[in-house]
Amino acid sequence: MMLTLENLSKHFGGVRAVDDVSLTIKEGEIFGLIGPNGSGKSTTVNLITGLYTPTAGTVSLDGWDLTALPQHSRTSRGVARTFQNIRLFGNLTVAQNLWVAQNGHEQRREHFLSRWFKPGGEHGPDIDELLQFSRLYSKRDVLAGNLSFGEMRRLEMARALASAPRVLLLDEPAAGASLEDAELLAERIRAVRDQGVTVLLIEHMMELVMGITDRLAVLNFGQKIAEGTPSDIQDDPQVRAAYLGSGHDEKMERASA
Amino acid sequence: MDYFFFIDLIQSTVDGLLFGTTYALIGIGFTLIFGVMRKLNLAYGAAALAGTYIGLVLFLTFDAHPAIVFLASALGSGAIGLVVYLCCFRFTPTHYPMASLLASVGMLLFIDEVVIHASHGLPYPYPSVFRDAIIEAGDIWIRGDLLFVFFMCVVAMAILFWLLYRTPLGLATRAVSQQPRAAQLCGIDVTRVNMMTFGIAGILGGIAGAMTAAAVGVLSPVIAMGLTVKGLIVVVIGGLGSIPGAIIGGLLVGAAENIFLLLRGVTERDIYVMLLLFIFLTLRPGGLFGSAQTRD
Repeated sequence: MMLTLENLSKHFGGVRAVDDVSLTIKEGEIFGLIGPNGSGKSTTVNLITGLYTPTAGTVSLDGWDLTALPQHSRTSRGVARTFQNIRLFGNLTVAQNLWVAQNGHEQRREHFLSRWFKPGGEHGPDIDELLQFSRLYSKRDVLAGNLSFGEMRRLEMARALASAPRVLLLDEPAAGASLEDAELLAERIRAVRDQGVTVLLIEHMMELVMGITDRLAVLNFGQKIAEGTPSDIQDDPQVRAAYLGSGHDEKMERASA
Repeated sequence: MDYFFFIDLIQSTVDGLLFGTTYALIGIGFTLIFGVMRKLNLAYGAAALAGTYIGLVLFLTFDAHPAIVFLASALGSGAIGLVVYLCCFRFTPTHYPMASLLASVGMLLFIDEVVIHASHGLPYPYPSVFRDAIIEAGDIWIRGDLLFVFFMCVVAMAILFWLLYRTPLGLATRAVSQQPRAAQLCGIDVTRVNMMTFGIAGILGGIAGAMTAAAVGVLSPVIAMGLTVKGLIVVVIGGLGSIPGAIIGGLLVGAAENIFLLLRGVTERDIYVMLLLFIFLTLRPGGLFGSAQTRD
């Protein structure tokens, strides 16, 4: 038991964006969260990272209740994420982007002055290693705003890893990527998992989700309609019904073929 | 153009550029706060003046050394900056910028009232250093007190640049100003960065206030309006959010002000400086260094 969502709900006015969702993600697994557009996937991520306060229910990590913690404290407890629409520090260099994440979660009151006024400091994962892992080493001194789209996506993930997370939430990391890029991405996600990081993957590209997740859950209209291994999900009639007519049915077929 | 007029013009420009560094500091303060919060703190100039009065109290009651008076002015203004943050920005709704803007206008008027009440609206002497020192460069005279003002402001800017570009705090501040949501998810406590920024901007404002008073040797409540309005003109000219812009804008306003003073006299001076504001807002609303950078 690692990341647990218990009866989590988020209502915006009359809209039940997330409605009584319970999930248990085990340590060291790659867990997929899929569902048609507007099914509540991103809201769920925002509830886990603390952008939204849930209407009801709790989020906990290793039995620690995170529900009342502000966003930056959740990061120091080991929750990191990437964004669907990239949010890099465009006027900082690639290495500085990682440096911010590496050191941000280490600010503690007792180290206040030394941490904030003394340059340097070695905490968390090695930045050079992360840069090599993300194939960004040659760009380390380039401003993040000047990277190509694919490089920005890789930097987003590297930055999330720089905060030494226990759970990594990937919000549509393959959006706009080609199939070959998606394969490289899948390799990287597996490598991250092999380092002991639990991964929650939210993705539209069925090939990727079905190919690398250990288990996955399906959301529809804010509710969890299925949970299981990729093959269980592909055979689930309710899931097929949810995707029918939304253009994803064909993709499901292709992925299961 | 006759020679003496030419010398006067150069002399005015030099004096204006030296004194313009105080405007640059005020502009940097506005810009720093806007950078991290995307909100305008209109109480900033008044808070800077109120901090300067804290230094003045030490001068009048204990006859403190000028260095102590200047330091107390700077730190006092930093402390008042934190109070302004807590009253007007910390708890007002993020998605309703009008709330903090109006709160800061209220704070501007409130601080102004308190200062006028406490000082009975009268000007008081403020320590001035190197009053009688003058460096003669041909027919141009460089006033020692203005040179001191210039030196202090430049040192303050240098320290700020060191903070912003050489320390973790600066990196965190720049990260917050570029992507507050991502910064938060990198573990940065955005509230604390905002607070530090108000404190540091406040100290810069206090230095600007102290140096403004030191340049004329008098502290008077009317300086609040000058600091606020000139500071806003500086950021409009330089581009809100740009520190180099605030520096150039400050020097420009300082020089322009003195040239208008020479050409049109003290009563008309500020009219032309205000006109500069409208010219820039119409022709170059983003300012000289306006950034095209977007964020949500």
